[in-house]
Amino acid sequence: MSYLRQILFRSPGTLSNVVRHLCTQNVAKVEATQEELDKLYKFVELELRGNDPAVLKSFCKFAVTTGNHLDINTKSWTLRKPNHERYTVLKCIHVKKKHRVQYEYRTYYSFVQYKYLTGSTADTVLEYLERNLPEGVALKATKVEVQAIPEYLVPPESDKQSNTTVDT
Amino acid sequence: MLKIFRIIERNTIEKTCLCVRYSSTDSSAEKRDEFRVLNIRKPKGRYQERKQPRTLNILPPRSESMPVDQDWGNVWPGPRSFHPATVPLPVRQGYVEKSGAPPSKYANAELVKIPNFLHLTPPVIERQCNALKQFCTPWPKALDTDEKLEKHFPLQITSSDYCFSSPSIRNPLARIVTLRFKLGSLGLNQRAKDKFLRLVGDRYDEESDSVTIVTDRCPLKKQNYDYALYLLTALYHESYNVEEWENLKTEADMEYYDWLKNKSKATIEKLFGKPHGEIENADVYADSVDKLMNEGENTYTLDKYGEAVRKLLNLPTKIEIK
Amino acid sequence: MSLIKYSCNYSLFKHVLQNNTIQKNSTRFLQTSSVCLKNQAGRYRITPKGDFPLTYEMANPPHRIAHRKAWNSWNTSNLDGGVRSAETAVEDMFIRKFVTGTWHNLFASEVIIKRQHNIIRIAGIITRGLSPRKMYFLIGYTEELLGFWLQCPVKMELQTIADRKDIVFKYI
Repeated sequence: MSYLRQILFRSPGTLSNVVRHLCTQNVAKVEATQEELDKLYKFVELELRGNDPAVLKSFCKFAVTTGNHLDINTKSWTLRKPNHERYTVLKCIHVKKKHRVQYEYRTYYSFVQYKYLTGSTADTVLEYLERNLPEGVALKATKVEVQAIPEYLVPPESDKQSNTTVDT
Repeated sequence: MLKIFRIIERNTIEKTCLCVRYSSTDSSAEKRDEFRVLNIRKPKGRYQERKQPRTLNILPPRSESMPVDQDWGNVWPGPRSFHPATVPLPVRQGYVEKSGAPPSKYANAELVKIPNFLHLTPPVIERQCNALKQFCTPWPKALDTDEKLEKHFPLQITSSDYCFSSPSIRNPLARIVTLRFKLGSLGLNQRAKDKFLRLVGDRYDEESDSVTIVTDRCPLKKQNYDYALYLLTALYHESYNVEEWENLKTEADMEYYDWLKNKSKATIEKLFGKPHGEIENADVYADSVDKLMNEGENTYTLDKYGEAVRKLLNLPTKIEIK
Repeated sequence: MSLIKYSCNYSLFKHVLQNNTIQKNSTRFLQTSSVCLKNQAGRYRITPKGDFPLTYEMANPPHRIAHRKAWNSWNTSNLDGGVRSAETAVEDMFIRKFVTGTWHNLFASEVIIKRQHNIIRIAGIITRGLSPRKMYFLIGYTEELLGFWLQCPVKMELQTIADRKDIVFKYI
């Protein structure tokens, strides 16, 4: 899992070296053992929805504290306006059109963003936060994973000549 | 006092009555032939002792016997509704219209309703995070900026997880996968890029040079992810693929003006009598004609075109008319 | 007929006259609101003796929810994009009926239902009318049966009070 980190730590030289090393190792590894590499997440964003802004605030504080303890770049913000969904219905079920009653659902939004996470960290943090999610709060965790271009995306042999001539 | 005397009096009377009745029943058993006495006030038989109300042995609240330096994480280990006997805080909740203290924590339903974070106090979070650290891996130090990240890992794959209260954890929206990448990172040649753009259509954003592919037609996230990568591969190879009919493209089918393939080039070559590479200032002229035709006629392109023509034909520069 | 016409015309005339005076006084005697705007649900009337006990929940009418008092059901189905709202409402109603029937005449507060993931927490305040043994039995009974029906882990989290008067907020 932490294979990538090991490589990057073992050779603190130039990045190109590292990446070349990574690529060759990657191909070799995939062919040899099919070992799964750790994923890289550019950021993980939590969107929290709740009826009560105070509960959301507490949870955001908890999430930010967790991120700080685990040395993750964390930030949190809220939408200024909640979403009010209103239903206007007749007060009496069949008659009296003038007499209505209004019901309202309020949804408050809060956001927490974690930046630069490895796959194992992201899984751990999300698991911890999701398990401690309070009642009446819905969570949407958006994960943005980054990947290298797959190595099979190479131009066909016939086009390689023209490719170089046109590009240069 | 009078009342008490009265009660005592009544009790004594009752007791004496009881004795009398007992004795009378005994005597009645002996003498069966006598008339029985109908007792309306009291039932016959043994006097039923009145059941004493059961007194529950209720312990005092646990919070009163708690030491000050206890470990709160052990008292309240997990999420739970508020309980006043366990929480040693003098919390109050409720709105009182007239001046007065809000209702206390005992028998207060409002405190039970609100979700509490008593199991997530700062020392507990710290302790749990320290225990979780062994499962985390640090971010590679070489990839510390967005530019480096984008250079080495150009593909961005976005997906969402959903958490909500329901017996099922499935959410149909979790299947959607978005693949996003910069077109420049694929390294396509000019013809392939042109074809790629025609294939992706409006999924290409010109401002940020990025292509966004959203897949949601398969039921599972993994399937959609595989499908997105399949689409990328198919687009890539298809854009390099040259069909036979593509070579039939004539000047009328061109989507932009290319000087090298047009009559203007032939005319210039005929005029000078040599290939365009050897003509002085021909490249400037070609450039200005391209711009004039592609960007349309405006003051800037027309001026440039005029200058290029003068240079090409060695004419004097434009005389400013005053 | 003519009389009616006359009266009509007369009333029209009077009306115009009144309107003129009204405009002069720059006030309007128009009633735009409906005649009966009385909300009754969840509200209690004052008794003549002023001895009707109200809990905090009863003392605050429904329009105070989220301001002075909180909801009795906590779940995510009423949020923006929430799922299973109808099922949740029906299940909550069923839980309430079942709990009030099983804990007959014991609940002093409302039945509070909180849903976290698939866990259903049933909280409330009850009187000490039962021996602890029976109370433990009822807790297990309720959790087991509701868990079987709703296919979720159910937890009962109860508080007890010695007397019903403990929970009274005010008398009206």
